[in-house]
Amino acid sequence: MNNNFWTVVGFTAGNKIRTKSFIVTTAIIAAILCIGVNLPYIISMFSGNSEIKQVGYVEGQVADVEAALQDYYAQQGEEADLQLVGYPDSGDAAANEQALREALRSEEIAGYLVFDAEASGGFPGVTYKSEKLLDNTADSLSVALQNIKFQMGLENAGLTEAQMADLLAPINVQTTQISVSDSTGEGKTAEQRGLAMGFVYAMMILLFMGIFVTSQLIASEITAEKSSRVMEILVTSVSPMTQMFGKIFGMFLVGLLQIGVYVVVAVVNFSLPHNKESLGNLNINLGDIDPMLYAYALLFFLMGYFLFAMLCAAVGSIVSRTEDLAQAMMPVSMLALAGFYIGIFGMTTPGSTLVVVTSFIPFFTPFAMFLRIGLTDPALWEVLLSIGVLALSIFVLGWLSARIYRTGVLMYGKRPSLKELRKAMKAYKV
Amino acid sequence: MKPLKLERVSKQYGDKTAVNTISLEVEEGEIYGLLGANGAGKTTTMRMVLGLIYPDDGRILYDGKPYSRDQLSLMGYLPEERGMYPKVKISDQVIYLARLRGMSRQDADRNLKSWLERFDISDYYNMKIEELSKGNQQKIQFIAAVIHRPKIVIMDEAFSGLDPVNVELLKRTVKALRDEGTSILFSTHRMEHVEELCRNITILHRSNTVLQGNLKEIKKQYPRERVMIGAEQEISGLEQVPGVRSVTRRENGYELAIERPEAARELLQHAMSQAELQRFEVLEPTLNEIFIRAVGGEKHE
Repeated sequence: MNNNFWTVVGFTAGNKIRTKSFIVTTAIIAAILCIGVNLPYIISMFSGNSEIKQVGYVEGQVADVEAALQDYYAQQGEEADLQLVGYPDSGDAAANEQALREALRSEEIAGYLVFDAEASGGFPGVTYKSEKLLDNTADSLSVALQNIKFQMGLENAGLTEAQMADLLAPINVQTTQISVSDSTGEGKTAEQRGLAMGFVYAMMILLFMGIFVTSQLIASEITAEKSSRVMEILVTSVSPMTQMFGKIFGMFLVGLLQIGVYVVVAVVNFSLPHNKESLGNLNINLGDIDPMLYAYALLFFLMGYFLFAMLCAAVGSIVSRTEDLAQAMMPVSMLALAGFYIGIFGMTTPGSTLVVVTSFIPFFTPFAMFLRIGLTDPALWEVLLSIGVLALSIFVLGWLSARIYRTGVLMYGKRPSLKELRKAMKAYKV
Repeated sequence: MKPLKLERVSKQYGDKTAVNTISLEVEEGEIYGLLGANGAGKTTTMRMVLGLIYPDDGRILYDGKPYSRDQLSLMGYLPEERGMYPKVKISDQVIYLARLRGMSRQDADRNLKSWLERFDISDYYNMKIEELSKGNQQKIQFIAAVIHRPKIVIMDEAFSGLDPVNVELLKRTVKALRDEGTSILFSTHRMEHVEELCRNITILHRSNTVLQGNLKEIKKQYPRERVMIGAEQEISGLEQVPGVRSVTRRENGYELAIERPEAARELLQHAMSQAELQRFEVLEPTLNEIFIRAVGGEKHE
């Protein structure tokens, strides 16, 4: 029997891996990953030598503000996104406007500024005119002008340089998450928390993908076997238990291989010199993550996968035709989706009652409990309890699914109701 | 020890009886015919023999032993609804099925090649099922059922959907298996196959056994009530011969139903007086007639 288990595993995995759809999907997602990881670099390549926008104005209207603006952008050096271009005052406002419009038409400048010296409060009113207003030029100007106004005000108040520097120094609030259940715990720094958050986020997506995609595959494989009637030969060759678990495990290997490919692609891309630099800039170092979190990630991934795989195997076994499968799978898909959303939306409030309660419901535990472990600090008994409940449900569901499978694979025609299924189980004495 | 023995086996689905106390024995090297209309309980009986469902009552013995998982490798199954993986290479799936029944990969491969050669379809080794014609798919299905040299083979409608050439080919193969000592439980609607292949039969009707035993003896129990006359000239007045029930004109002669076998003598004299006879035969009833009588008779009671 044990031998048969591995034969089923090998056949399931071997055939799946050789299908065109599997190879193509894996290749496409790997390619998207490649592009995604390199996207920041690609964007920076294009925007690296982006043009500095030329903004025109007529010289001499509000000389102090103009000079301060020129200074402000000059100080920014290479990072400046604007450059001011002065045009000589012709003495007539209409002629000035005309000259600037001309410059705009000939694309010497991207827009121009008009100052209104008579505005209230001593600071001139400013109007930016351009053909395109949906860029960030106005924002940049507004920040610059705010700065200038502030400086001018401070200067007028007669503060010393030192006083001004002191006033302008930014305030820095340090955050540290502390652990109360664990007396030696020093808690997590902001960087560690950010990192844990990113890691939890990535794991949620991997877990969801693993569960959702792979278990759908299991169900459709089983239904396909049923609808092609090869099932009748299979159930007379090998015990349904062996068959079901062999299939689940074989698919698991396939899913693992697929995820492995993605991880390798991502890691290789991240360690390319140009990406390594930008990653280093962001202060991300995967070594900083608590090794226990990796262990929990693996544990919850495995348990979550097997829990849903059992459900899907049972569902797949009662459906006779592939067309009916999507409908029958709906409740299971909903469960997986709900778990995923609890995980994602709980990211910001990992301590909320919803997350705490759902972390003990086996179908959501892999998402919710993992979230809590990653971002908060649940007591050890809570973790163990949730894992225990999860393990027990896998066991119970596995037993139940095997019975449903045993009965379901022989029932053709219309999808049986729960009552019919129970009756058939009794009749088949399984 | 009989390779396969069913002792008063019954099966209920809810309050509906699917099979009612059936008993039968299959000898080594015997093809046993299981006949019955649709829904008579054939498939349920076969599924119980295969261990897919357990009988409610009675027992099934394999070489004198009750069912266990170990028996699976001794059994082969050709299901009524053909089924293989449409998109998997033939070599892969047949070897897979053989390995599930306990063969090594090398043995399975060797056997598969020799079977393909036997059916003269060696080129299909690397093809997919969906690329084959229906008849060839059936040959592959057949190979999958017997590749592991089972001692007991269960064939549900083995020859349905095949052209006459392939029916002959498979029939020859089934006989060869029988001669090698395989016990075969065989179900079909085609009575001429049963007459050709089976020594013993059971006819099921609505879950009950209505007729069982040696095919020749069963036939002897039924009176010879059919006469074939082959003649080139026309023969008149056949209906008037006492004891004749009906007359049917055939391409080169007449087929008559008679009430009692003794009527045949008078019939012969009558016919000979009128024409040069090429053939005069009193026929035993066909299995088809016996079947219809056994099954149809029940219905009127």
